[in-house]
Amino acid sequence: MALFRFSSPSDPVSGLLDLQRELDRFFQNPMGLDLGVSSRGVFPAVNIFSDKDGYIARLEVPGVSPEQINIESHGRTLTISGKREVVTPEGGSFHRRERESGAFSRSLQLPDDLDPGRAEASYKHGILTVRVPKKEDAKPRQITVKGA
Amino acid sequence: MTPQELSVRTKQELKGEEQTRAGRTYVPDVDICETPNSLWLWADMPGVDEQSIQINLADGVLSIEGHVSLKDYENLAPVYTEYNIGNYARRFTLSSDIDAERIKARMTNGVLELELPKAERAKPRRIPISGS
Repeated sequence: MALFRFSSPSDPVSGLLDLQRELDRFFQNPMGLDLGVSSRGVFPAVNIFSDKDGYIARLEVPGVSPEQINIESHGRTLTISGKREVVTPEGGSFHRRERESGAFSRSLQLPDDLDPGRAEASYKHGILTVRVPKKEDAKPRQITVKGA
Repeated sequence: MTPQELSVRTKQELKGEEQTRAGRTYVPDVDICETPNSLWLWADMPGVDEQSIQINLADGVLSIEGHVSLKDYENLAPVYTEYNIGNYARRFTLSSDIDAERIKARMTNGVLELELPKAERAKPRRIPISGS
């Protein structure tokens, strides 16, 4: 199964659109990754990517600082929870309120060949990235042929 | 009782304005709050570097724009997606007179925070009533 791998084309003009179209293809989830407990439409939104070492989950969590994020792994499940707070200035009245605040929690049930216990997380610009490596024995291994 | 879950809506594409660059632009969610002295605005723009933020105020129209970087997606293959990635832009016609010189902008955790101080003449003024 050939997987699309994003790489910045030599023509930077179409790069963003190419990536967007590719992400569109996976909205309908044709590859059948079943996250289990989790459901679409619940904050935060999750995108999952793969590279040769394992899976990378990205979650959009604007307005949540890293200290407010809790990540737990339990068997095959990774649970990401936290709180999003919205600032309310003294004596202000809102004209628009499109951003919600409150507690969130999402559980991702990952494939068997991954090792959530060795996951690493990083945070930048409101996006949480969790790298989950493959289990050691799930990685491709070269088997040498001994001569007679 | 289960607490209400926070929801996330599909990103809305910016319509009605074509950008010259290829790639979809999305409309960021905003909160707008008015206090006696200022107008405050918060826009969710996850993935946007503050260096790429552009804020413009001209003829009473405030426009905000932010760009995402593709570098973070090098050599990644999508497996499951719930959100798309793109630049953000939104415009507002302001009803108050804003002192453009004193606009303060801050980007924290993917949220753009703008303080738009009202121009002196736009602030509410108490009109004293002199006794007869």
